[in-house]
Amino acid sequence: MNLLQFSIRNVCRHKQRSLITIGAMAFAAFIIMFFDAFLEGFIQTMVQNSVGMNLGTIQIHAEGYRDDPDLYKRIKNPDKLIEKLYANGFSATQRIYGFGLAASGSKSSGAWLRGIDLKNEPLVTQINKHISSGSWLDGKDLMGVVIGKKLSKILDVGVGDEVIILSQATDGSMANDLYRVRGILKSVGNGVDRGAFFMTDRAFRELMVLPEGAHEIAIVGKYHEEDLQKITDEVANLASGLEILNWRQLQPFIAKMIDTSEAGTFIMMFIIYTAIGMVILNAMLMNVFERIHELGVMKAIGFSPWRVAGMLFFEAMIQAAAACLLTLIFGLPVVYYFQTHGIDLSSLVSSTTMVGIAMDPIWHCRITFKSIATPTIFLFLLAALAVIYPAAKAALIRPVEAIYYK
Amino acid sequence: MVNKMAWRNLWRRKRRTLITSFTVAFGTFLSISLTAMGDYAYTNIINRSTTMGFGHITIEPMGYNDTPGLDKKITDVESIRNFVLQIPEVKSALVRIVGQAMFASAIKNIGGTFIAIDPAKENSERNIFISSIIEGFLFEETDGRGVVIGTKMAKKLNLRIGKKLIYTVTDINGEIVSEITRVTGIFKTGVDEVDGSMVLLPIDRIRATLGYKKDEATIVPIYTNDQRKTGKVRNVINRMIENPEVEVLTWNETQPETAGFITIDRGMNYLIQILLGLLIAAGILNTMLMNVLERTREFGIMMAVGMAPARLVRLILTESIWIGLVGLIFGVMITIPCYVYMSNIGIDFSGFYEEGSDVGGVLFDLVIKFRLYWESAVAILCGVFVLTIAAGLYPAVRSGRMPPVESLKNL
Amino acid sequence: MRNIFFWLMIIIVMAVFSLNPSIAKPAESSSDRVLRILKELDDLYRSSSAHGFMSMQVKTAHYTRSMRLESWASGKDKSLIRIIAPIKERGTSTLMYGKNIYTYLPKTDRTIRLTSGMMGGSWMGSHFTNDDLIKESRMSEDYDATITFEGIRNRQSVIEFTLIPKPLASVVWGKIVLTIEAKNIIPVSYIFYDEDMEMIRTMTFSDVKDLGGRVIPAILRVTPVDKPGEYTEVVYEKMEFKIPIKDSFFSIARLKKKK
Repeated sequence: MNLLQFSIRNVCRHKQRSLITIGAMAFAAFIIMFFDAFLEGFIQTMVQNSVGMNLGTIQIHAEGYRDDPDLYKRIKNPDKLIEKLYANGFSATQRIYGFGLAASGSKSSGAWLRGIDLKNEPLVTQINKHISSGSWLDGKDLMGVVIGKKLSKILDVGVGDEVIILSQATDGSMANDLYRVRGILKSVGNGVDRGAFFMTDRAFRELMVLPEGAHEIAIVGKYHEEDLQKITDEVANLASGLEILNWRQLQPFIAKMIDTSEAGTFIMMFIIYTAIGMVILNAMLMNVFERIHELGVMKAIGFSPWRVAGMLFFEAMIQAAAACLLTLIFGLPVVYYFQTHGIDLSSLVSSTTMVGIAMDPIWHCRITFKSIATPTIFLFLLAALAVIYPAAKAALIRPVEAIYYK
Repeated sequence: MVNKMAWRNLWRRKRRTLITSFTVAFGTFLSISLTAMGDYAYTNIINRSTTMGFGHITIEPMGYNDTPGLDKKITDVESIRNFVLQIPEVKSALVRIVGQAMFASAIKNIGGTFIAIDPAKENSERNIFISSIIEGFLFEETDGRGVVIGTKMAKKLNLRIGKKLIYTVTDINGEIVSEITRVTGIFKTGVDEVDGSMVLLPIDRIRATLGYKKDEATIVPIYTNDQRKTGKVRNVINRMIENPEVEVLTWNETQPETAGFITIDRGMNYLIQILLGLLIAAGILNTMLMNVLERTREFGIMMAVGMAPARLVRLILTESIWIGLVGLIFGVMITIPCYVYMSNIGIDFSGFYEEGSDVGGVLFDLVIKFRLYWESAVAILCGVFVLTIAAGLYPAVRSGRMPPVESLKNL
Repeated sequence: MRNIFFWLMIIIVMAVFSLNPSIAKPAESSSDRVLRILKELDDLYRSSSAHGFMSMQVKTAHYTRSMRLESWASGKDKSLIRIIAPIKERGTSTLMYGKNIYTYLPKTDRTIRLTSGMMGGSWMGSHFTNDDLIKESRMSEDYDATITFEGIRNRQSVIEFTLIPKPLASVVWGKIVLTIEAKNIIPVSYIFYDEDMEMIRTMTFSDVKDLGGRVIPAILRVTPVDKPGEYTEVVYEKMEFKIPIKDSFFSIARLKKKK
């Protein structure tokens, strides 16, 4: 009988002991899997909220626009560029911006006018779903506008009220018109809340006498970190002569926040993994040392030290394998549940805005290859490491000592 | 009697005890570290955010938080301020006027926000703009014509130290008025919007310009000596000041973004603590189960000679409590040196961030340190204790249930 | 800078002076003389009223615009300017009353009072800012003036004043150099410098002719020095002075009426 079969039988023979050990390890592995998926989901949510609400993954501007925004610094032929981007797998939308005065009754405030391409915008951001009262823009309602939460308070207007906009058009004339509030946004971020005035691109072009061109093209791509530089470069190739920036460069503050969170989570991961390591170590050690008599007997009847060590090693691996299986069978569905339904933390965390990112109190997990691979590898690795000491001890102990071992 | 037996049982299986208590110890260590790190970071973030202008607690005109404007002001500020200073937890209280204005130089004009302060009463600790001054100084006179602007505004308006800046505001009569100021200092926070639009002005000069009376201002920011007392102090102030035109807000309400960030981070922290707790419990459970299994014979004999099952249960439970305690003490012992180091020196993470730690560098402290609050420490210790008991429960009960004959049959 | 009408008033007064030979060479010190000239301009502007038609052309890097305007002014702090052409903007009016500016927009039939934040914005797309229009910058109070040149320049007999802002004056300029035609005391140019003594913008007056009974420059041109090729030019077509205008004329309600 070879060693492996022997080990398997050993494990099965000590059912209770093995089950306890496997159980502990499976639990530990589950925690790793859950935590990994949770973190992944958290970062994703953060990025998605900041990027997906407003920013887009990448933005294209005419040279010099960001430093000194100007009605005249436009991207020429934005439609063509957007088509080109589509052909290369990117979803893109164009935006036109201006600044003006918004007034209603006796109240007035500076407003950030934003002309939206209704067809493409929903492909890139989810701002159209972020309405708190009223409804989003509609191509058939040219005079309908959607404004930021705080702006509505400053102007003291609600859905259905009228607002006048005053600005300077591209031909120098006084651009002015009356609009009706169609909807008010939920909190998106300070800038948008205080001044954003969304209108259809057609309405904007008519108001500001801007028949062609766009100030910004926002593109969406994958959110994963590693790809960011790659897609930034890819877009740069497609849109030469323009300024290409990804969300990290556009909002270094948010990027920093997320990085800091990641660093913080890194520490947390370290802590959790260490704790888990301890548990597995505990389990393994227990497992071996409880049987030191048995092992001594084995040695007495002729098992070589190597065989004993080898057997223990195999047993550890078998138990680890069983633990992994358990985790996958029972743990994965649980984590998956949290991926689709999310954890409702509304009792702890109310809907908040974090540096311009609106956060939902429901956090989702996100299972990736990493969240399955990590616990598996970790488990095996740690079980192997943990069993070294006891295996060495068992291998080297004199049978007589073992029998009387305390 | 049970205690002594439990204790002795423990040390009869030295290795097992040591391994398990070490698990508990390490778990405790991790838990304390995590909490300490978090507490330090939050306190830091909170305290820093208060320097942005509103303090830990702010007394504001009613409705100001939603719709700020120079038309809203508080009267009698000095007496309010003196009132508040009497509260023991209040470290300082200031008086400021905040508003929008247009800032112009010969080449351009841009809109911005000013914070008007009394230079004698303010310092870098309470005011991030002062602490970020990279060129020049804060103006000295409270009614003078100095102004401190950010690097971006200086660039846009082509200003340097000593150059003049004209600001235009709407006074209380609705009249548009302008004043001349000269740049005495330039600050840099690293955040473009702030560096391009925030401005410090002397408060008495602004009062004169706006037509405010000597004891009128926009806000009274209050700084507490301990950010955790914020809620309590706010309630005290609310009771003291019975003025319907004024409201008292905490940093949670004036800085919702910071509050949001902390809440989220806290949420994460709780989750991890729970996970940690579960792990510790798993470790103990593991050991105790193993423990109980091995000693079925021993238990069988004990019960055969007359030990009541209930007593056995208590014995096992006590054993797990002892392990927990030993682990706890052990844990505290290994944590203390680490804590001392971390709370005084800490680990500097600023090397991690290569790209200009300028960005929000002033707003983020990149050194991780520890700071443990009494309540947190007690909470952790109790938590571990409870876990140990909980973990020991199942094995204990299980052992009590086994009939002696069965146990004797098992090897 | 100043209301266009202020310029008209300087011119009128200068014209008045020139018509009256008895105001010739009283014995006075140079600084007194400077003060007197500037102060009298300020004071005399106050008591006059005017009504006129003019055209304004604006050329910037992005657009060229032509407008015809009709305007009324009374004293130093009340004036109303209305766009007559182009049709698209006909009826748009700006009312200045004291330190407030109101804009009436016919398209939406609304009147907006300009806030302090808008004062820096350009007026009707020109190189004048809203602030320029109402700036109550009394030359004699805000500036210290000295005569820096008296003689012939470009075949004209001119007096050049250099105006340095007083320490507490809320003006953005570092200095202003004003050149007037000596004989008839008609302004020739205003050059504005920043604190580093860099030229920022110039205002030139030309085409002196008879308008409404006065001899005044009909063309006023503002040029930003850092944007070569750009300018705003106002051409006075028809003027009448000292006509009776009621104070109630300058009201928001008036803005809405067609005439």
